[in-house]
Amino acid sequence: MRYLDFKRFSIYYDPYLIISITLLSILGLFFLYSASDGNASVLIKQSIFVFFGLILMIVLSQPDPQIYYSYSGFFLLISIILVFIAIFFGPEINGANRWISFGFVTLQPSELCKVFLPIFIASYLYGVNLPINLKNTFLTIFLIFVVFFIVSSQPDLGTAIVILLSGLYVLFLAGLSWTFIGSALAIFIISLPFLWNNFLEPFQRQRIATLFNPDLDPFGSAWNITQSKIAIGSGGILGKGFGEGTQSHLYFLPETETDFIFAVIAEEFGLVGLTILMSLYFFIFIRCFYLSINARDRFCRLVIGGLSLVFISTLFINIGMVIGLLPVVGMPLPLISQGGSSLISFYIAFGIIISMASHKKLVPR
Amino acid sequence: MTEINETYKEKTSFNKRLVFLFVTFGILGAVFYYQIFNLQISNYSEYEIAAKNNKNEEISVQPLRGIIFDRNGEILVNNIPTFDLITKPFFIDDPDDFLLRLSSFLEIDEEDKRVFLSQFEKAKALNKELTLKQSISDEDKAKFLVRSHMFENAYVGKRYLRNYLYPKIFSHSIGYVGKPNEDELDEIYELKSLNKKINFTYTNQLIIGKTGLEYTYEDILTGEFGNNLREVDARGRTLGEKISSAPIIGNNLYTSLDLKSHQAAHKALNNRKGAVVAIDIKDGSIVTLFSSPTFPTNQLANGILQKDFDELLLSEEKPFFNRALKGRYPPASAIKPAIAMYGIEEGLIDWNFSIFDEGFFTLPEDGRIYRDWKEGGHGNTNLFKAITQSSNTYFFDLAYRSDINQLNKHLLSLGFGDKACIDCFEEDKAFVPEPSWKMNKHNFGWFKGDTVNMGVGQGYLVSTPVQLAKYAYIMANKGKFSDLSLKKDLVKSEKSIEFNKFSNDDWFKLHESMINVIEGNTGTARRLREKKNYIVAAKTGTAELVSGDNREQYSETRLDDNLRDHALIIAFGPMPNPRYAVSVVVENGESGGSVAGPVAISVLNSLIQE
Repeated sequence: MRYLDFKRFSIYYDPYLIISITLLSILGLFFLYSASDGNASVLIKQSIFVFFGLILMIVLSQPDPQIYYSYSGFFLLISIILVFIAIFFGPEINGANRWISFGFVTLQPSELCKVFLPIFIASYLYGVNLPINLKNTFLTIFLIFVVFFIVSSQPDLGTAIVILLSGLYVLFLAGLSWTFIGSALAIFIISLPFLWNNFLEPFQRQRIATLFNPDLDPFGSAWNITQSKIAIGSGGILGKGFGEGTQSHLYFLPETETDFIFAVIAEEFGLVGLTILMSLYFFIFIRCFYLSINARDRFCRLVIGGLSLVFISTLFINIGMVIGLLPVVGMPLPLISQGGSSLISFYIAFGIIISMASHKKLVPR
Repeated sequence: MTEINETYKEKTSFNKRLVFLFVTFGILGAVFYYQIFNLQISNYSEYEIAAKNNKNEEISVQPLRGIIFDRNGEILVNNIPTFDLITKPFFIDDPDDFLLRLSSFLEIDEEDKRVFLSQFEKAKALNKELTLKQSISDEDKAKFLVRSHMFENAYVGKRYLRNYLYPKIFSHSIGYVGKPNEDELDEIYELKSLNKKINFTYTNQLIIGKTGLEYTYEDILTGEFGNNLREVDARGRTLGEKISSAPIIGNNLYTSLDLKSHQAAHKALNNRKGAVVAIDIKDGSIVTLFSSPTFPTNQLANGILQKDFDELLLSEEKPFFNRALKGRYPPASAIKPAIAMYGIEEGLIDWNFSIFDEGFFTLPEDGRIYRDWKEGGHGNTNLFKAITQSSNTYFFDLAYRSDINQLNKHLLSLGFGDKACIDCFEEDKAFVPEPSWKMNKHNFGWFKGDTVNMGVGQGYLVSTPVQLAKYAYIMANKGKFSDLSLKKDLVKSEKSIEFNKFSNDDWFKLHESMINVIEGNTGTARRLREKKNYIVAAKTGTAELVSGDNREQYSETRLDDNLRDHALIIAFGPMPNPRYAVSVVVENGESGGSVAGPVAISVLNSLIQE
């Protein structure tokens, strides 16, 4: 009865996740140091984020999941308000309004949506009877798309896609009927040409086209992917060594600190380095699967499953893009790419996951 | 606490769906890992090369050009270092301030500053070096070097210039180098199989031979290109450079040219329009190939002001025109020994055959008069006298009796109408007229009078100084000869002219008659006798540019300098065993004996009295 025993102070934690995440974060700092060309200020800033992020993760593991259940709507609302603040009052950087500036640091509130949207949906679907009826299905989907469109209007297609996925994962796990999934997929496929023509910017269409035919525009939109593949391929088995990547250090590779850091790691540490890195991710992936299956109730299951799938999706979209299997879209390599917002949002997600996994169910005496 | 509201059914559904998603990602992960494996292992070498090509730029480095020597081992052309002030714009924040600081102790032209500022931004963006001032003086170099600690963004760079030690003397024979144009560049790429991306650094600007020996022997002089690998980043900025193969210095060129004889020719011609060609009879190599006036080769090779270049190009003297190889002159009386050889060979005359020269020849067909240069004529004239005193009437008569086709054949065999030299730059073939040519060109048949004119080297027959020299060489060597050449010790086959009737005795008499041109009391070049201390055989000529009926008419003609007769002479000596044959043409020089003759003698002197 830990939660009632006020005389004893206990800490809720999951040793596997905490160790693997900390390890990954430290490895990330090491990679970032090379990817940023030994830029000390980038490294220090990122280290501060990692340090406080890990503390935040432990702190967020302590409250009972009940708190997250009760306040899920509030958290989501706050996140959406922050997104609006970014849109209307935030600084415009590269034609996008994604950030809120706090003077010493700028944060991207849309990152919070990908954490709190699935939690809110999980809490909403917790109480409904199975199978989920049409009304609840549509309400949920409506909410998901509202958040999706708000974020994509920033514009930030990458994050918006992850938010869309995060909601859909929870809806799917909660027991969305297969009939509905089938018909939705059919409608989606039929309307693909319409979406292609009306919702994608020309540069986005170009990126998808070059994915299938890089020769279309080798120095234009395919440049990034071509250079990224050369970086990865030239890494070979053992890589060129720390700080020795010519592709990354001679500016052939774009966005080395953020979206393309995976290619830097591949170039400098080769297949061996990538295998170690991907094993760590795989370990987290398996641990989350285990925790999700063994969670104490439906809410916790849905949240752990949803959040870990958000993490995995981000990872796969990033790697898929860097190795040339998916179109180029702004997406960080989780826990490694430079950028405080993405880091913090994943620490929050893992804090909540650990909370849900480590607080055991209240058993009547 | 929320009421626990879950069923066994719900949990299994969740588990199945979670497994479905995780397995999907697991499969996707395997696909990704396979793709990475493909990139890093299966296609590793391909990507490794791609990465190297990305960062490395190949730069061809031209070797130093070979040195050019004269026949005695004197250096005629070499390479000298010059020092340029080179800047590194990448490390210069404020170019105006940079120039201001430099100007405080160095004088920099406004033009140099303007060029520097106009190219600054681009060079800075690419991290390329920029030359601020070329060929700085030793004083400026020292001034800069003591302050070099203040200028880490600039340095003094060494570059080699082609240096012509006798720029005004070998302008035409050696020629000059220059930057290649687009077509020439393409040719070099192909010939040397160089990478088209090559980039010639400032210190080693690509130069190629443009004219003369520099052009003809480009292959020997140029050497083997080296390669430097320059590491560049995606923005094309240079990060470092290393030698992958060093260039091999070009071979030296040993020529048969003789420095002293060129100096003598230059001095004797004294910038008059004309040409001197001298040949070593031993092997047919050219020792003097001089055209006047000349032009300054160093400026042409290393940078000449457009104004100065235009002045040279538009000059009435036509200094760029190589008169020795391309000037077309009627051989005039200098052709007479050749006509005499023909007459003897064909049996039309012998040394005893004589005519009475009354000062003119009348063409039997139409009574047209062909005048001798001497009013009243030479009286009783045999062949010996006809050559020594240059009787026109004798040769008019001989030519009149000649078959034009046979005569042409004879002239061609002596080298007229064809290139004489195997390694000369842009030699002209000049011209031996044929009846059919005249018909085509002038729509007029060949007259007997045309043949008569050819007997004294006038009319349509033209020759170049180098052809005249070869003709003199063949006569000096009694019909044996090799092709002319400029490169020393070139292996050539010896040729000879076949005669049936023309005997060794005839050669002797021909030489004797030509010796008498100078040594005889009545010779046309007897004034040259005192200018030397050995015996020379010669034949003078005066090429008429305007044909007049008499001397009075010519007095009017000669008022215009450019219409005055060309003076020419062919000579060889020392007799009786000649070593050198020479031809001299002085444009508008009027008298072969007194104007062209002294030039020929001073050149022979420089060769024989070494």
